[in-house]
Parts: sequence; C-alpha cells; structure tokens
Amino acid sequence: MANLKDIKRRIRSVESTMQITKAMELVASSKLRRARERAEASQPFFEQTYKLMSEIAAEDPYFDSQFVRPRTEKGSAILIVIAGDRGLAGGFNANVLRLTQQRIGELKEQGCEAVVLPIGQKAVDHFAARGAKVLGSYDHIAEHMSIYLAMDMAELVLSAYRRHSSVQSVEIVFTNYVSPLVQEAQCMQVIPLTQLAGSHPRRCAVEYEPSPEAVFEKLVPQYVSGLLYGAVVESFASEQAARRTAMENATDNATEMIDQLSLQYNRARQGAITQELTEIVGGANALEG
Amino acid sequence: MNTYRLMILTPDKTLFDGEVAELIARTTEGDVGILAGHIRYAAILKTGALTIKMPDGTTRTAAEAGGVLKVSDERTTVMTTAAEWAEEIDPDWAERSRQDALRKIEQYKNEPDRLERANLKLQRALNRLAVSGRK
Repeated sequence: MANLKDIKRRIRSVESTMQITKAMELVASSKLRRARERAEASQPFFEQTYKLMSEIAAEDPYFDSQFVRPRTEKGSAILIVIAGDRGLAGGFNANVLRLTQQRIGELKEQGCEAVVLPIGQKAVDHFAARGAKVLGSYDHIAEHMSIYLAMDMAELVLSAYRRHSSVQSVEIVFTNYVSPLVQEAQCMQVIPLTQLAGSHPRRCAVEYEPSPEAVFEKLVPQYVSGLLYGAVVESFASEQAARRTAMENATDNATEMIDQLSLQYNRARQGAITQELTEIVGGANALEG
Repeated sequence: MNTYRLMILTPDKTLFDGEVAELIARTTEGDVGILAGHIRYAAILKTGALTIKMPDGTTRTAAEAGGVLKVSDERTTVMTTAAEWAEEIDPDWAERSRQDALRKIEQYKNEPDRLERANLKLQRALNRLAVSGRK
C-alpha cells in the first residue's frame, strides 16, 4: 500500500501550499486596495503642480530654467528604479529590471553612463550584484511611503543634477497600474522637462511673488517628490496586483492538482479493495474445490 | 460676501475643497488675504498657518509646511507638502517631534545637508505647536 500513502502525503503537501498561496492572495488584495486609494489621493496635488509649472513656462517668453533646458554635455544619466521588496509576484520585478537593463544599454550606446537609484530590495540586490554605480538606495519603504521620504529622494536627485553639469537627464523606471490584470513597466524622463520648453508663449497677466523663476524653482522639488511618491505608490499597487494574480493562479493549480491526486488516490484504493476481494474469493474457491 | 472655490492639496490627500469667503496665508513676501475676484496670482508659501473664513462667518485654521499658492479665475489652490487642521494636531506628538528635531540639530551640527533638514523639521514642529494653540 506504499502507493496509497505516497499519494496521501502529496495531497497533504499540496493542500498546505494552497493554504499559503490563498493567504497571500487575500493579503495582496487588501494591500492593493489601500495602495490604490493612496495613489488616487496623490493625483490632484501632482496634476495641479504640473499645471502651474507648464503655465509659468508657457506665459513668459523669456522663461528659462536649468530644469527645462536640455543639456548639451553628455556624460551620465540618473535612473530611479522602483521594484518590489519581495518575489512571488509573477513577472513584476523581472519586467522592471529588464526594462532598466535595456535602457542602460541604450544609454551606453550614446556614450552615457547610467547611475542608478534603486528603490525596493529586489532592485537594490540586482544592481549590487552587477556592480552598478549607485547614487543611494532605499528598501522596504514602499508600503509606508511618506511624502517626507519622497522629498529626501527628490533632494538627493536634484542636488546631484544641480552639482554635476554632466548629468544629462533623470529618468524613472516604475510599473504603471493599468488594471487589476495589467501592469506595465515604464520608463519616463523626469528632468529636464523639455516638453515645457517647446510650449508657445501666451500672455495672461499673472502676478508672481517674488518672481516666476522663483515660484518655478520652488515647484520643481515639489513636482519631483510628488512624482516619486506617486510612482512608488503606483508600483506598490502594481506589485500587489501582480502578486494577487500569481497567487490566484497558484491556488487554482493547486486545486486542480488536488482533484487529480484525489482521483488517483480513489482509483488506487478501489484497485486495492478489488484485488483483496479477488484474492479472498479466489482463496475460498480454492478451498471449496 | 462673495465666495470662491478653494482647494488645499497635499501629496497624500485633499485637505479642503469648497467655497470660502477669504483665505489668509503667509508668503515669503508677507501675509496675504485672498478675497473673491482677486487677480491671477502665484506666490511661495512659508511654513505657517492658513486661515479660512467660511461663507457662514466661521473661521478654520490649518498648519501648512510650505508650498505654493495660486489664484486663477476658476479657483484658488494651495499646494503644500503637509497640512492639517488645528483641531486635528496632536500637541504631544508635535512636542515630541520638536524635541526630536532639536536632538537631530545637535547631532548633525557638522553635516550641512542633514542640519538643513533637521531645521525644517523643527520649523514644522514649532508651527504645528503654534497653530494647535490657536484653535
């Protein structure tokens, strides 16, 4: 009866795995809901900040800022990479890191060195293993992301940009939450805000205190920290959604496996009983005969 | 009294969105009062208090941690990194963060970057204490 015991043991093992995947699925869905709420709450602030920045850039024909002007000197680019702290989230981490490696390759071809700012344990480990040049690193912060932390990060990036004229751009790689089933890794340029430089001047009298440039310079860190906050929260929501889908599939597979194993088990049990019966009947017949 | 639409936005929430009669805020150039029909205007806010006069005559006060004030035709927007209503501030918590800030200032005397941040933290804590005392 070794076969029967083996099957029983496998069923039990699959069942306990299923309990774990099921629990992870539930945890991920509740975390997802909270992360979505936070991502949505940060939307108006970010939109208004960006709107005011584009208005300032559009209204003043003589407007100029180091954060808008494209830089001619090419040397390096800062890549902010947001991945998760844990695995078991389907292709979530792999997609972000693959896109980043691809972008680093493109930059290299242009003779531009990438300096990374990894956020999330998986990104930190990835770049540490590859010996990449790192500006700073953050892990285990996504779930309790705060605006003060985002401001710190923005300040770190902006001061590097101000200090070194060789930094041609700051880009961010994060995962955009499209729907509960679709999350997309994306690479986006943060600075310079070249899209603002091209807008056509249109006059409409606004009084700026102390000056349009000063207001704009104040908005840039606010814009970058708002963007970072949003990207971290959005990525976290994507991670949870990816994990939920992955765990849902794992739970489904486990259920299917248990069904199959139970069938096998019952067949084996029935076979054993039949065999026993045949043996008894055969034995009885032999005695009579 | 004429009213206008005011929005107070922070990265993690919309603190206020509704009709008000007047807003008083502290800019880098001095205190300003915004009434309905104000010209288009934008200014940098220092860490300080926002005082709102509601259409029914009541007054509300909020602590604000620096940002930008913008007046446009359709509405007035305050974008600030942090804001809370005076009645929602926990004075004990504000006091703790004031002491924490003082400790950090002592600790990072020789690191300009961190000292700057600790100073900002102290400013925010002092501002919260001042505003919560005014409720």
